[in-house]
Amino acid sequence: MHDLLQYLTSRHWEPAPEWLFLIPALLMLAAGFAAVVLRNLIHCALCLTLSFIALGVLFIALGAEFVGLVQLLVYVGAVSMLIVFAILLTPASEVAASNNPFRSFNLSRALNAAVGGFIVLLVLGGLLAAIAFSPHAQAAVLPTTAATLKPAAIGQNLLTQTLLPLQGAAILLTAALVGAALLAKEEKQS
Amino acid sequence: MMLQILLAISAILFCIGLLAALTRSNAILVLIGIELMLGAGNLNFIAFWKFSAHPELLTGVMFAIFSIALAAAEAAVGLAIIIQVHRRLRTVNINKADQLKG
Amino acid sequence: MNFLENLPLAAKKLVLDLVEAACKWACAKTGITLPDWGLSLILSLVSVLLVIVTIIVVYLVMFALMSVLERKILARMQNRYGPNRVGFFRWRLWGLLQPVADGIKMLTKEDIVPRGADKIVHFLAPIVMVAPALMLPAIIPYGRGMVPIELASGILYFFALGASTELAVFMAGWSSNNKYSVMGAMRAIAQMISYELPLIMSAVVVALVAGSLSPLKIVEAQGGSILNWFVCTPWGFVACLLFYISALAEANRCPFDLPEGESELVAGHLTEYSGFKYAIFFMAEYVGMFAINGMLVTLFLGGFNAPAPFLSFIPSWCWFFGKLAFLAFSMVWVRATLPRFRIDQMLQFAWKFMIPMSFASFLSAAAWCYSGNAALAWALSTVIVGVPYLVLGRFCFTRHHAVDNRRYLYSE
Repeated sequence: MHDLLQYLTSRHWEPAPEWLFLIPALLMLAAGFAAVVLRNLIHCALCLTLSFIALGVLFIALGAEFVGLVQLLVYVGAVSMLIVFAILLTPASEVAASNNPFRSFNLSRALNAAVGGFIVLLVLGGLLAAIAFSPHAQAAVLPTTAATLKPAAIGQNLLTQTLLPLQGAAILLTAALVGAALLAKEEKQS
Repeated sequence: MMLQILLAISAILFCIGLLAALTRSNAILVLIGIELMLGAGNLNFIAFWKFSAHPELLTGVMFAIFSIALAAAEAAVGLAIIIQVHRRLRTVNINKADQLKG
Repeated sequence: MNFLENLPLAAKKLVLDLVEAACKWACAKTGITLPDWGLSLILSLVSVLLVIVTIIVVYLVMFALMSVLERKILARMQNRYGPNRVGFFRWRLWGLLQPVADGIKMLTKEDIVPRGADKIVHFLAPIVMVAPALMLPAIIPYGRGMVPIELASGILYFFALGASTELAVFMAGWSSNNKYSVMGAMRAIAQMISYELPLIMSAVVVALVAGSLSPLKIVEAQGGSILNWFVCTPWGFVACLLFYISALAEANRCPFDLPEGESELVAGHLTEYSGFKYAIFFMAEYVGMFAINGMLVTLFLGGFNAPAPFLSFIPSWCWFFGKLAFLAFSMVWVRATLPRFRIDQMLQFAWKFMIPMSFASFLSAAAWCYSGNAALAWALSTVIVGVPYLVLGRFCFTRHHAVDNRRYLYSE
């Protein structure tokens, strides 16, 4: 009985069925589409957050736990908050009109959407064709062992192989921090 | 087969982001589209890492981590610019930012 | 005594044995033969459900007790009795059944949703608040061999979920269609974001020294005696204090409870919530407080380790919950003692004092790790942490003139 307990409390269960990652994937696509199409900006931001959460869960389901958790921490905790704050700080003057579901039919807006949709369909077609016929995508190696991502391995990699990108990212993040704070500062009327 | 399904999902997400960036007239929604496109790119990296011949090299994972950090920095700067533009022009409609026109 | 120590695990084993026997009896009775993986699937599901139900029950009982004990302890510190009447039939039981009365009251209140409120977001905000809060306690080691989920990057999981709380606060504030709610929500988010940095940096300091992000390994690195606990090192002491203050701020407790400043903004972002939804927010706050205290115990106070080897006849989970109780009492004590911060004082404190101090403790921990002998390690890390503390405390916050020669006027 003791080894059954060991079996159950360790993580050597049978690997989950492969199609399990489709659930967060479909949620992510639906939430992303909702984020693009909705009229109310805050609803768009919240659907975007849902899409990020689903993407993070998808990363975890694919075995990259660390990346999934970093995605949840950075995107959901920080970037979504940024977007929401920016929406609150830039109230559109036509907020009342945008909540009206029955706007008058605007030809230029409809043409805009149609041209945009056409370009996007072209790009989608090109990408799907590339995926279907590319040799790299077909030469996929099925993972024999579940590739577990150890944080220690990521740390080793960061400080040996990707040391220069790490320092570059540090400089870039500092510059972005200072730059964003400076850009968003209110100018004092002298 | 699994890899192709994952790549197709990532392509659809990329195109959803592209739709947002091309079609909506609010600058913040364009930024949301850019974030979706970056997320699709990250998904591609992780998908190729999972199905690669040497997953212990962690190439895709490192790329994804750096991409997440850079996307956050770029979102911060982009939103700061949008806030500053709103202060000047009182609008975030990208069609109205035409001071340099003509 | 080994019996008490293994009591929770033995209870779980007993339940799994019973389930297995019941399955075999059901199969024999109805004649269905289960495949090999069928029994292990059922047992794994039951095991997981058992752990989840135990965590939820334990935390809800702690929440209920805490809500009444906090009021009583606050009251005693203010020289009055707290709630002491609600009892059972005729016995007053010191008022400890007050949570039952509170629960019934909350459940039977009318649920009012403002007319202009965004109904979906208003409904989802308590759910988004409480779901991550209930997922937080999953990685904390409660005793020897009693981690619900053993994640290699457990600390990262903890803080990723903590970051979702801000989203719920914003949803609650914005969807109420009330400018005081939005103001309260913005203040709450500003406070939470500012104090997340010292929180995460203090945890990273511990991960640096312990060499792992897994809470179990961090607790194992503090085994032995009380001198091995990370709080008994210079960097650990500073990091523990920073983590404690940030935990107070993250849980919106006094002196950082400006977001729910009862005297200022009605209830801040919770103004338009009544009845069960308010109870859910309340519960999420307390469960989050217990979870973050549990993380403090894990990171700095040695987890489930006893202070001295001869004291390990008391089981490890008793030590963990004892330390947790002490921390909860200290949070109530702080609430009774300190006045509330203003929003600008709070943000200045976070950005100008706590973040540089957390960097200093990080450098100090690095010096501790890489010093040769113990004396050099102690000296170097104390200096690296002490000098910024004196500089920041002395020269950065005394903008007003120093207080000297007070004139006291006494009434005659």
